[in-house]
Parts: sequence; structure tokens; C-alpha cells
Amino acid sequence: MKKIQANPVIKENNGKFTKAILKNLKQPATLVSGVLLLLIALCAIFAPLIAPTNPYDLAIVSIMDGRLAPGERMFDGTIAWLGTDGAGRDVLSAIIYGLRTSLTVALCSALIALTIGLLVGMTAAFFGGRVDAFLMRIVDIQLSFPAILVALVLLAVLGKGIDKVIIALAIVQWAIYARTVRASAIVERRKEYIEAANCLGLSSFRIIWKHLLPNSISPLIVLATLQTAHSISIEATLSFLGVGVPITEPSLGSLIANGFDYILSGAYWITFFPGIMLLATVAAINIFGDHLRVLLNPRLSK
Amino acid sequence: MLTFAIKRIMQSVVVLFVMSLIVFSMINLIGDPVDMLVNPESLPEEIERVRQDFGLDQPVHIQYWKFLTGAMSGDLGNSFIFGRPALTLIIERFPATLELATFALFIAITVGLPLGIYAGLNPDGWGARIIMGGSVLGISIPTFWLGLMMIIVFSVVLGWLPVSGRGETANFLGIESSIFTLDGLRHLIMPAINLALFKISVVIRLARAGVEEVMALDFIKFARARGLSSQRIVRSHLLPNILIPIITVLAIEFGTLIAFATVTESVFAWPGLGKLVIDAIVNLDRPIVVAYLLFVVTLFLVLNLIVDIIYAALDPRVRLQGDVL
Repeated sequence: MKKIQANPVIKENNGKFTKAILKNLKQPATLVSGVLLLLIALCAIFAPLIAPTNPYDLAIVSIMDGRLAPGERMFDGTIAWLGTDGAGRDVLSAIIYGLRTSLTVALCSALIALTIGLLVGMTAAFFGGRVDAFLMRIVDIQLSFPAILVALVLLAVLGKGIDKVIIALAIVQWAIYARTVRASAIVERRKEYIEAANCLGLSSFRIIWKHLLPNSISPLIVLATLQTAHSISIEATLSFLGVGVPITEPSLGSLIANGFDYILSGAYWITFFPGIMLLATVAAINIFGDHLRVLLNPRLSK
Repeated sequence: MLTFAIKRIMQSVVVLFVMSLIVFSMINLIGDPVDMLVNPESLPEEIERVRQDFGLDQPVHIQYWKFLTGAMSGDLGNSFIFGRPALTLIIERFPATLELATFALFIAITVGLPLGIYAGLNPDGWGARIIMGGSVLGISIPTFWLGLMMIIVFSVVLGWLPVSGRGETANFLGIESSIFTLDGLRHLIMPAINLALFKISVVIRLARAGVEEVMALDFIKFARARGLSSQRIVRSHLLPNILIPIITVLAIEFGTLIAFATVTESVFAWPGLGKLVIDAIVNLDRPIVVAYLLFVVTLFLVLNLIVDIIYAALDPRVRLQGDVL
């Protein structure tokens, strides 16, 4: 039986979560994906320090360096390890900066979607009845359309720009968060400690915020992980199709699109390397998330 | 059963109506298409004339009413760029997309199902690990990037397959398709595999989960106890039981294949719906975008409706539950 202290549940959950991660890290696939994720995150955060050149500094970028193969020396003597693109930008530096854009978009949209999803899901679960039926009907309808289609339409309306991509991805994702939050909150709501909190006369807001939320959070963490991978992919696809982030601040997707024009002339590296980075990022998050799901789900982990 | 079906159909009609409203009002927020259509140096009177020709000078609600009454009679307006009915353009392009999606689905099932069943039957073996690892890769790999890599390998380096476009088509039993000519197949194979890859992973996962669930059930144990061969158990006891959920999921997934074809079509310059709509979005060709969306929404609603009705026919619990709203 759970006691109603200030915050008993959060503590309990954190313990479970850390334990799951620690146990998880002993498996090689998870360890590798975890380390890879950490490296990718560090790369993105410290992009200006790590990247050999600044790909957006027009004073440095020279058309003379255009389409150098990987390993060739640029005009100013630095080696372009992954080659250069048509405009003479170092591909390696562009990837590191592009990663930053991709991750920023994915994380910001996840955060907004998570917030909306939490509000809607909790409202639906807590009030039940007609409110619940109505909200979940909207969620169902939205989820019956593929994310890429919804995002495409939204961006056709909103136009280009990082902020607009973030908004579009948040709108695409909120429904899945709302459904998950509602599902786990409904299970928790029937438990005795919520009844006890009700008897103590706590406000709805307080019950939701302090008791319902912390206990229904673990499936949400898994979902957020996997959704982030998904939204990185969608953003890249949108940018590739020319409706995503503008070319002035390219993400991995726009870098690949940029290389599209050169593949027939054999300059494979302009598309190949950004794609590998994209694949590594998405795969690492997916593998990590998959293992997290198995470990946080008592039904799956025996 | 009939009441359930009618209720669901009514719901779909309402959703379609709401969608048309949302789509139409959103599309009207996109920049002014007249700017794209006329020469920047043309006189204000000319611009005004173009505006009137397309009915863009009228208030939005009148434009919507006109659109709605038109839509009822199958007229979704003329494309600004092609000057022809949007719906006709959509219907002309649809066979190419349908062909691509169907072929991709076929590949996904023929490749994914055996692999998934194998992984489910031998969950601890190396084979299963490789298959499941491959499926994570398949879900993670960006479709459009893989398409580009396929072009580099098979068209640029090896020179085996054509880079883009749809090949010759031939008519067989009244169906016009490129799978009946060698040239058509050579053009189709790469885009179809590209589009199928994600679905192969989905089928593998579904099949494996299904196998693991069904194999633990009693009737399999009884079949074993009766001394049936493993092959026979898989063929006549396991397969029928895992196929129904997989087919239902795939019916819905077929819609996503059509949506995702947008990406594959852009990579391989496949002359289908997706290419049409991406070009329309870039050129602010409103009627095409609206017509495409309504077309796809209808397609989705129909697919979902069919699946729901089949489900309800198979499982009476669904019928009793679906009473909200």
C-alpha cells in the first residue's frame, strides 16, 4: 500500500529506472548504442569546437574546394576527411552542424508534443466519460493518418523554417503521447492510493501532478525515446523533399538532398556520409529504446 | 451488424467533411497563388483578371461553398498549373502509385513473413538475432537515403538498372501495368524494394510476435502430443492463426505505403501521385493539394472502415464496445 507523502512515488520510480538502465548496459548492443548516443549528443552540443571548419562562414568556404573526394586537401591546407560538397563546404563539418539542427528539432518537438500529450491524456484519464471519449476520438482520427502525410500538409501550409518544422512535428506527435499517457494513467487511477488522495481532499491538479503522473511515467520515457528517433527521420525526409528546414541552416536531411544532384556524377560522399550519421543516430536511439521497453515492462522482462 | 456498419459509415462521412473544411481553410493560408501564376511585370489589371478567372477574388466562405458543391459532383477545381481538372490528374497518376505500392506490399509479405516466422520459431538462434537486428536497421534506415544509395550502387556503379521513371507498360487482362514488360519491371524493381523495406521490418516483427504468442497456446501443445510433424503444425495450425492479425494490420498499412510513396517517387522520379503532390506543394497549386488530400483521406477512411467491419464481423465484442460518440 502506498503512503501519501510529499513525493514518495517519484523516488521509487527513479530507482527502478536507473536500475533498468544499469542492468541494460551489461548487454553489448545496449552498451554500444548507449555510448554511440552519448558521443552523438556531445558532438551536437560542442559542434563549433569539434568541427574542423565552420561550414556557414562564407569567408572560409571557397568554391575552389568544390567536390573534393574524401581525404583530399582543401585550398587552405586542411584535409577534408569526408570530402567537400558542390559549394566547397567540408562534409564532416557540415554533418556535425547538421546533427545539431536535426537533434534540436527532434528534441524541441518531442518536448512540446509531450506537454500537450500529457495535458490531454491526463485530462481524459482523470475526467473520463464524455471528455475522455471525445478526446480519444480525435486522437484515433489523427493516428489513422501516417505522420509523414500530416507533417507534409502542415508544412505546405506553414512554410519553411526550423520553428515551423518543430511545430509541425509537435502536432504530428502529440496524439501518440496522449494515448499512452491516458492508457497508463487509467490503470493507475483505479489504484487505492489515488482513492486515498481523493479522500484526503487533495485538489485534482495536485493528484494528477504529484501522484498520477510520476506513476505513469515509465512507458512515457520509452515512447519519448522511440518517438525522438522517429521524428529525426521524419524531419530528414521533409527536408529532403524540400519542405523542411531551409538550406541556410541544413539538417542531415537537407545535406542528403543537397548531394542528390551530384550522385550521377559519382560524388557519392556528399549524400553517403550524412546518411550514415542519420542512420547511426536513429538506429542507436531505436536499439536503446527497444531494450528500455523490455526492461521497464514487467510483462516482458521475466 | 448492419447498424454498426451504418454508424461507422456515417462517422466516416463526418470525418471527411471536417477534413475538407480543415484542409480547405489551411490551404487558403498558404501564400497567394496568383503571385506564382502571373508574370511579375504584368499590369495590376491583368493580375486582377487572373484572380477573377480563378474565383480567388471572392470571400473564403463562398470559395469553400463552391468547392463543396463542386466536390459533391466530382469537380475539385482545375489545377492552376496544368489547367485541367485536379481530380482527373489525380486519377491519371493513381495507377502508377497503386502499382508501386501493391508490388512493395507483395515484396514485404513474401520476404517478411518467412523471416518473421523463422525468427519466432527459433527465438534464441543466431539466425533470429540477425533477422531481428536487420529489422531494427530496416526501421531505422531513412527510405529516401537508401533509395539514393541504391541508385549509386545499381545504376551508377554497376549500371544494371535505370535511374528513374516508369518503363513500358503493357495491357494484360484489362490491367495496364509495367509488371508485364521486362523494361517495366527493370524500372519498378528498385523503387518497389525501396518502398517495401520498412514494411518488411514491420511484417517480420508482427509475424514473430504472432508466432511466439500462438506457439505457447494449448492447441499447439495438443497438436504436438498428437505427434504431428513440425511442418504440419506450422502450416495448418500456426499460419492460419497468425495471418488474420497480420493481414488486418497490412490493410491499414497499405494506406501508409501510398503516403510514403511520396518519398520514393521523389527519389526515383516515378510518375505517380506523390510526385504530383510534392510538385503541387512547391508550386502552390492549391486544387491539386486539396484534391490529393481528400483522395487520400477517403482512401484511408475506406480502408479503416473495411478493417473495422471485418473485425466487428469476426469479434462481437467490438460491436458492443463501439457505442461512444
